[in-house]
Amino acid sequence: MNGKTLVVKALQEQGVKYVFGYTGGAIMPIFDEMDRQDSVQFIMSRHEQGAAFMAQGLSRASRSTGERKVGVCISTSGPGAMNLATGIADAYMDSVPVVAITGQVATGVIATDAFQESDVVGVMMPICKQTYMPLGADDVESTMHEAFYVAVTGRGGPVVVDLPKDVQNEEVSNGYNFDSSAFHPNLPGFLYHPTPEREPLQRAMYLINRSERPLVFCGHGVINANAGKLLQQFAEKVNIPIAFTLHGLSAVPADHPLSLGMMGMHGTVEANRAIMEADLLISFGMRFDDRVTGKLNEYARDADVIHVEIDPSEIEKNVATTVAINADVAQTLRAMLDDPMLTYKPRRRWFEKIEEYREVMKADLEAELAKGTGDGGGLLMKSIVHQLSKLTEGKDLIVPDVGQHQMMAARFYNYQTENSWFASGGAGTMGASLPMAIGVKLARPGERVWSICGDGGFQMNMQELGTVMEQQIDIKILLFNNGYLGMVRQWQTLFYDGRYAGTPMQSPDFGLIAQAYDIPYEKVENVKDIQPALQRAMDQKGAVFVEFVCDPTEVILPMIPAGGGFDDMIIKRPSPDKTAKKSGKEK
Amino acid sequence: MKRRTILAFMLDRPGVLNKVSMLIRKKMYNVDTLTVCSSRIEGISRMTITLQEDDERKVNQVIKQLEKFTEVISVKELHADNSYWREVAIVKLEVDGNHLETFRGNYNFEILDQKSEDIHIIQVAGSTRHIDGFLDAVGREYIIEIARTGASAMEK
Ligand SMILES: Cc1ncc(C[n+]2csc(CCOP(=O)(O)OP(=O)(O)O)c2C)c(N)n1
Ligand SMILES: [Mg+2]
Repeated sequence: MNGKTLVVKALQEQGVKYVFGYTGGAIMPIFDEMDRQDSVQFIMSRHEQGAAFMAQGLSRASRSTGERKVGVCISTSGPGAMNLATGIADAYMDSVPVVAITGQVATGVIATDAFQESDVVGVMMPICKQTYMPLGADDVESTMHEAFYVAVTGRGGPVVVDLPKDVQNEEVSNGYNFDSSAFHPNLPGFLYHPTPEREPLQRAMYLINRSERPLVFCGHGVINANAGKLLQQFAEKVNIPIAFTLHGLSAVPADHPLSLGMMGMHGTVEANRAIMEADLLISFGMRFDDRVTGKLNEYARDADVIHVEIDPSEIEKNVATTVAINADVAQTLRAMLDDPMLTYKPRRRWFEKIEEYREVMKADLEAELAKGTGDGGGLLMKSIVHQLSKLTEGKDLIVPDVGQHQMMAARFYNYQTENSWFASGGAGTMGASLPMAIGVKLARPGERVWSICGDGGFQMNMQELGTVMEQQIDIKILLFNNGYLGMVRQWQTLFYDGRYAGTPMQSPDFGLIAQAYDIPYEKVENVKDIQPALQRAMDQKGAVFVEFVCDPTEVILPMIPAGGGFDDMIIKRPSPDKTAKKSGKEK
Repeated sequence: MKRRTILAFMLDRPGVLNKVSMLIRKKMYNVDTLTVCSSRIEGISRMTITLQEDDERKVNQVIKQLEKFTEVISVKELHADNSYWREVAIVKLEVDGNHLETFRGNYNFEILDQKSEDIHIIQVAGSTRHIDGFLDAVGREYIIEIARTGASAMEK
């Protein structure tokens, strides 16, 4: 037995089916061994960043299945490992368990600037949950198992194992003996408190019963704990409306009568106005980031805060809490649901107010959806998403990229399937969608997966079409082509007097790109063709690429400007001439 | 700004010190002192960090984020009124031996070496204030070289 066989053995014991990555000098022994043992299937990305996002997709999508998997990605040393870094940092921001294995130069030459040497541990340390570098074959197996344990325990996150090449080849010492089934890592301080304590739970329920204008907040932790159904029962039992963070979407059906949709910068009027008025926020598995709260000293001024969170360092980080419950979301919800103390309250006036807020933008949005085109004559992203939602009855899996189209997909798809929304949120990494969708599809092969991309982000990782082609991944790629880095353009429209610096973009002929990868393609320019094209994409077996010619003047509203408070929420579209006037200069 | 002392116990694994110092940098503090030594238990290190911060919540954030590291076993803030903070200084001084002896009553120091008539290497131990007081009394302009350990601390 040597280092490389033990790596593959550990992967097998951890139930790893797919390993995503790219080879190179310092990782060749492990590739060779994976190939010989044939127990894990290697999926080659076309760039290591793609592999990290594929691993994320697999992790994210499998958490709601009976078989929860940790995505694994692998690269060579130096440039290979550096290319993984963006995907690792992204997984860290979004609490996604991933194990990344990187080759490293041999221990004898480490720190001599050897060929393709980078200080991987040094680079990764601040952007992942834990890093390891085993220095002998005897340590490899325990390190690998500890890496998986750390990645999934408590709040999930990526873990990096940097493996010097000589350690991969080294034989274990005489008498080496390791029993993975009996192994438990020795981490006395790495505690995890899944069970809520009685006293704060009681205080929380007291506040809930007493509240007149409460809100339930559904964060990523609800999805991670697989607790969507419990959250829904809880909200129904106490009769409290639910607002979602970007990552909380799809935990509860989006059209549930208690749902207010997304909160925060591009959240709905009803969610954000309700937060301003609330007297109690009951937040589950979220971290009150700045895109959610806006200006902190103006945030939910009248509200007490109950914060249920598995990571104690998130409690009191941004928002002062009245009751802190450091526990697993599912266990906390179960404990409250089982307690006869929790009561239903009609809260008629609160709901009346919320109904008013729901009306604020309704007419505008409905008019836009009915028309389907924007001021410039191009298609509206929101109406494409809306049609997709109707056609698929909200049941499919959605993997957006980052930008306006992402916010449109967050707001206008009627999520019905728990854990059906997979987005790069905390980091907002353009290019995440295509590779992430590949991982999602491999984890949930029986479900339909839509990768919704902008023209900018798509081109950041479009090389992964190679993986789609090679592995015959059945994903439906929708490209919302507005000729711009739209989200940034929107800020320029609103805050930079319509000066479009660095946002207009020339793109290749995507039809030829799709053809080059042997992927059926069509282009949609008219509203009436949206639905039939989507239908054809659904009916087509295998990957499909549909390009929509979108209107660059479309904006996603409402919007709370960065650093602004909820009072600064923009709900009216900028006048058409303000954006049209500059169009001469734009291209 | 208020001086804070944070005491942490952690597994003695490679990279832990790096992680702690990176966190403190990320939080934009400038460490006053940082001392690491082994604890009573093999494989577990003891770290004392002092930094300046008035805001109680920010200190708690640092503590919670330190606790989050997989290697860290426990972290707490030590308060001045219920703990001892001590350090040691080794000082090379240009000062006459007789003059030095006049500080004997008030300060607890030991002469390690006498290089010449008026060059002494001495060791002084005690609280930060005690050491500062000694240096002020002798006169800082007579210091040729000084090495201080930084604070080590223990709860009463
Ligand atoms: C890697 C990376 N670089 C830059 C950004 C900043 N950024 C956020 S959204 C955006 C525009 C995205 O444009 P596109 O992909 O065309 O989507 P659209 O907004 O037009 O729908 C940019 C540049 C980012 N999020 N990620
Ligand atoms: Mg675009």
